[in-house]
Amino acid sequence: MEPRLTGINRREALIYLGYRGGALEGVEEELERCEELVLKTARPRAVWRRFALLPDGSLEGADFRPEGEDVQALLAESREAVLLAATLGAEIEALVRRTQVRDMGRAMLLDACASAAIENVCDNLCADLAAELAPLHLTDRFSPGYGDLPLSCQADFFRLLDIPRRIGVSLSPGGLMLPQKSVTALLGLADRPQPRRSGDCAVCGRFEDCSLRKEGIRCGRN
Amino acid sequence: MGETEFTLLDGAMGTMLQAAGLPAGTLPETWNITRPEEVTAVHRRYVEAGSRVLYANTFGVNRLKTAGCGYSVEELVAAGIRAARAADRGEGVRVALDVGPLGQLLEPLGSLRFEEAYDIFKELVLAGEAAGADLVVFETMSDLYEMKAAVLAAKENSRLPIWSTMTFEQSGRTFLGTTVPSMALTLTGLGVDALGFNCSLGPAELLPLAEELRRWTDLPLILKPNAGLPDPATGAYALQAEDFARQLVRGAELGVTVLGGCCGTGPDYIRALGRELAGRKPGERPAPDRRGLCSASRTVPLDGRVRVVGERINPTGKKRFQQALRERDMDYILQRGVEQQDAGADILDVNVGLPGLDEPALMRETVKALQAVVDLPLQIDSSNPAAIEAGLRAVNGRAVVNSVNGDRETLEAVLPLCKKYGAAVVGLCLDKNGVPRTAEERLAIARRILAAAEAYGIPREDVLIDCLTLTVSAQQEQAAETLKALRTVSGELGLHTVLGVSNISFGLPAREQITVSFLTQALAAGMDLPIVNPNQAAVMDAVAAFRVLSGQDPNSAAYIERFAAAPAGEPKPRTGEPMSLETAVAKGLGAEARALTEQALESMEELEVVNRLLIPALDRVGERYERQEIFLPQLMSAASAACEGFEAVKARMARRGAGTVSKGKILLATVKGDIHDIGKNIVRVVLENYGYTVLDLGRDVPAEEIVRTAIQEDVKLVGLSALMTTTVPSMEETIKALRASGHACKVLVGGAVLTPEYARQIGADFYAKDAKQSADIARQVLG
Repeated sequence: MEPRLTGINRREALIYLGYRGGALEGVEEELERCEELVLKTARPRAVWRRFALLPDGSLEGADFRPEGEDVQALLAESREAVLLAATLGAEIEALVRRTQVRDMGRAMLLDACASAAIENVCDNLCADLAAELAPLHLTDRFSPGYGDLPLSCQADFFRLLDIPRRIGVSLSPGGLMLPQKSVTALLGLADRPQPRRSGDCAVCGRFEDCSLRKEGIRCGRN
Repeated sequence: MGETEFTLLDGAMGTMLQAAGLPAGTLPETWNITRPEEVTAVHRRYVEAGSRVLYANTFGVNRLKTAGCGYSVEELVAAGIRAARAADRGEGVRVALDVGPLGQLLEPLGSLRFEEAYDIFKELVLAGEAAGADLVVFETMSDLYEMKAAVLAAKENSRLPIWSTMTFEQSGRTFLGTTVPSMALTLTGLGVDALGFNCSLGPAELLPLAEELRRWTDLPLILKPNAGLPDPATGAYALQAEDFARQLVRGAELGVTVLGGCCGTGPDYIRALGRELAGRKPGERPAPDRRGLCSASRTVPLDGRVRVVGERINPTGKKRFQQALRERDMDYILQRGVEQQDAGADILDVNVGLPGLDEPALMRETVKALQAVVDLPLQIDSSNPAAIEAGLRAVNGRAVVNSVNGDRETLEAVLPLCKKYGAAVVGLCLDKNGVPRTAEERLAIARRILAAAEAYGIPREDVLIDCLTLTVSAQQEQAAETLKALRTVSGELGLHTVLGVSNISFGLPAREQITVSFLTQALAAGMDLPIVNPNQAAVMDAVAAFRVLSGQDPNSAAYIERFAAAPAGEPKPRTGEPMSLETAVAKGLGAEARALTEQALESMEELEVVNRLLIPALDRVGERYERQEIFLPQLMSAASAACEGFEAVKARMARRGAGTVSKGKILLATVKGDIHDIGKNIVRVVLENYGYTVLDLGRDVPAEEIVRTAIQEDVKLVGLSALMTTTVPSMEETIKALRASGHACKVLVGGAVLTPEYARQIGADFYAKDAKQSADIARQVLG
C-alpha cells in the first residue's frame, strides 16, 4: 500500500490562510500554480502498524497507553489500534523556505497547499486501510495534541513506528516533527461501524481559542 | 571463508538482543554494561558465521540520545568495544566503533548546529579510539551535512580509518535529498577510507545505486543491505538468507568488497554470504568517469560543458551590497542567490570580503544561509585563507575555491585546505609580478599551479585555470592573448578554464556588445566556466545559443524552452500604460513598483518617497485587508512588491553614501523549542516595509540570546512568536528573562495558539493577531 497524494482541497487551503470570503482577485490562478508545484514536489511516505488493545486501553507489546479521555472514548469499541505516520518529505520544506526569500505571499500559498496535501495523504491512507482491514471498521484518526491526548506521546509513536528510519521524519527536543508537513495519528479498529466525529469542534484541543469556531466556521479537522 | 579479497561484516544487532531478552523501551547499549556477556554472545555468533569486522553495540550512543540513561558516553563506548573484542578467539577480528545518526536534525531543516554535531561526534571518536577500536563506521545517515561533521570529527581527532555508509531510497536519494553523486564527491573529497550504503533497501534495490556510485569514486565500496523491504503493517523483513546472499553477490561482481547485512539479517545471512563469496574475486572496477562539484542535492559535472558561475554575491564596487554586509542583512544576500539560480546559474561565487569585517565569520554565516535556500554548488571566493577554510568547512557538498595564483605563498596557504576539504581550485595566471603580457607566460604559470596542486594530491581535473580578462579599452592586444592562453590551457593541458568576462568592456559605451562577443569567443576557445552576471539576459542568451551550436543542448530543447517561455516585453514595466506606485504595490507587481520608485526618486527625496508614496500605498492595502476585501497572501504580495520599491530607495542612498532610513530597531524571534517560523517571517517583511530595522534571530532561539541581543543593540520592541501550546511556556520564560534583565523594552507576542488574554497572562505588553497589527503596534511604540 503506497501513500498517495491525489489532490489538494482548495477550500481547506484557503481556510488555513485565514480566508473568510471576499474577492480572490489574482489569487486563484496563483493558487492553482502553487497546487501543481506542491503535487510535483511532494514525496509522500507513510508507515503504519497494528496493535491489539488490552482491556486497560494500552497497546499490546508496546509499553504504551494513549492517555486522555478523548482517545479512550474513541477506542471504546475497538479491539485493535492502528498507529500511523505520514509525511510530504523534506523537499516541500525547502521549497517554502526558498520561496520566502523572494515572494512571501506565494510562500504562504505553498505552505497552505502543503498543509492541505498532507491531510489528503492521510485521508487516502485511511481509506486504503479501511479497504484492506475490512470487515473491521476504522474510527476517525486522532493525533497527539488533539483533545487531551498529550503531545508528549509523540515519542511513543516515534519509537513504535521507527519513524526516522522508515520515513525520514525526526522529532525535535520540543516534541515537534521535522519536516513540518508530517502527521502521526492513531485509529481504532472495531467490529461495528464507528461514528464520524470529523468537524466536531468539541474534541479539538484548540476549542477555547479557535478563531474559526468563533466565526462559525469549521475547519473540518476535529 | 578462507583466503579472500572480501571483507565480511556482521548483521543486525538490535533484533538479536531483543531475541535474547532485551525489554522494549530499554536502550540496547546499556547491555554493554549490564549484560556484556549477552552482547558478546551475539558478536560471537557473527564471528562463527564468518564476520571479520564487528560493529560494536554503540550505534545509538551519543550525548543527545543516551543522556539520562545512567552511563556516560565513554562508559557505553568502552564497554561496547570490549564486548565486541571479547568475541574474538584468535580469528583476528577488527572491531568498529559504530556511530549512527544523532537523532536531531541539523540546520537548516532542524536547529542542531553543524559545530555542535561535530562536537558530539568528536566525543564519540575520542572515546572509541581510547577504548581500542580499530576503525570508525558512520552509518544509516540520510543527511550529508551530518556525515560531513562526523567525518571531520574523526579526521581531526583520531587516526582511525573511516567508513561511511548512507541510507537511500529507491529514488536514488536519501530522505533529505542527498544524491549518490553528491555523497561520492563529498566523502571521497573529505578522504574517507571506504563508502557505500546500508539499511533502508534490500540487496537487489541497492545494486543500481552501487553501479552509480562506482562511477563517481575509486574508494572501496560497502554494501550492508536489509533483508529486503519491510512489510508496512508489521515492519518484518521477508527475504531469506540464501536469497539475500545470492542477490548481494551481484554487488561483489560490481567490485564491492565490503559486505554484510543490516535490519532483518542474522548470522545465517552472513554464513550464506560467505558461502556465496567463497572462491570468487571482486568484479573489475572501471576507473570512475565522473567528476564535478555538488551541493547535497545537486551535482554539476565538470565534463567540458558550459557551467555558468554567478558573480553577484560580491561587494566589490557595489555600495548596496557593502551596506548589506555591514548590517548583516542576510536577506539581501539570499535574494541575490535565489535570483541567480532562477536566472540559470549553475554555480554561485560567494565573496564577502570587506575591510573591517570579520570575513571568516561572515563567510561561514553566508554559506550556511545560502545553502538553506539554493541548492547550487558554491565557489568560495576569498584571498583570506581563514575565510576560505571557514567557507569550506560550512559547505554541504563539494565546493571550488577561488583562488590561488602562481605565487608560492598563496599556493602553500590555500592548496592544503583544498586537499583537506576535497575542493577544486581556481588558479589565476598571475604571480607577484602581476599579469604576464603573453599567453606563453600565462601558460607557464598555469603549469606551475598544476604542478603544485598535484604535489598536494589534488588531481588535475580539479584545477581550473583563469587566464584573466584585461580591459580592452586600455590594453587592446590583451584580448587576443587571453583567448590564445585559453586555447592552450584547455587544448594542450586539458584543464577546465574559468573566466570573468565583464571586465573586458570597462570604459566603453554599449558594454554589453563587447562583453557578449568576448564571452562567445572565449567559449569557442574552450572556456567552460564563465563567471558572469546571470541576470543579464544577453549574457545568458549567448550561453544558450552557444550550447545549441556546440551540441551541448540536445535538440535545442533548453534553448526553445528559454525563448518560448518569455513573451516579448515581460516582465519590464509596460510603457504607455501609466500605473501609479500605489497600484503597482496593490497588485503585487514588484518590477513595476521598483521602476516607478526609481522614477519618483528623480524628483523627490528618498524620505519623501518612503513617507508620501510607499507607506501610504501599503497603508491602503492594509486597510483593505482589515475590511476583509483582500486576505493575507494578497497583503503579502503587496508587501513583497513594496520591498522592491524600498530596495530602489536603499540602493540610491547607498550610492550617495547617505546611510539608512530606519524608524527604529525591532528584534524578532521564534522562541526556544519552536521551529515554525513562517508567521514570524511574514511579520518581518511587513515591519521592514514600514521602515523598521528588524533583527531576526531565527527560530528555536534561547531566552538568553534574545536578552543579550536586546541589550547589546538597545532594542525597544521585542517580538516573539510561538505556534504550539507546548512552546508558549518558553515564551513566558523569555519575557520573564527580559524583565529580570532590567532592560526597558516592550514585548509583542503573536502566534496561532495565543489570545489577548493569554498574552497578558504571560506578561506581554502587546498581542498582535496578524502582521498588519504588528506594524500598527510598532508605530505606536517607536513612531
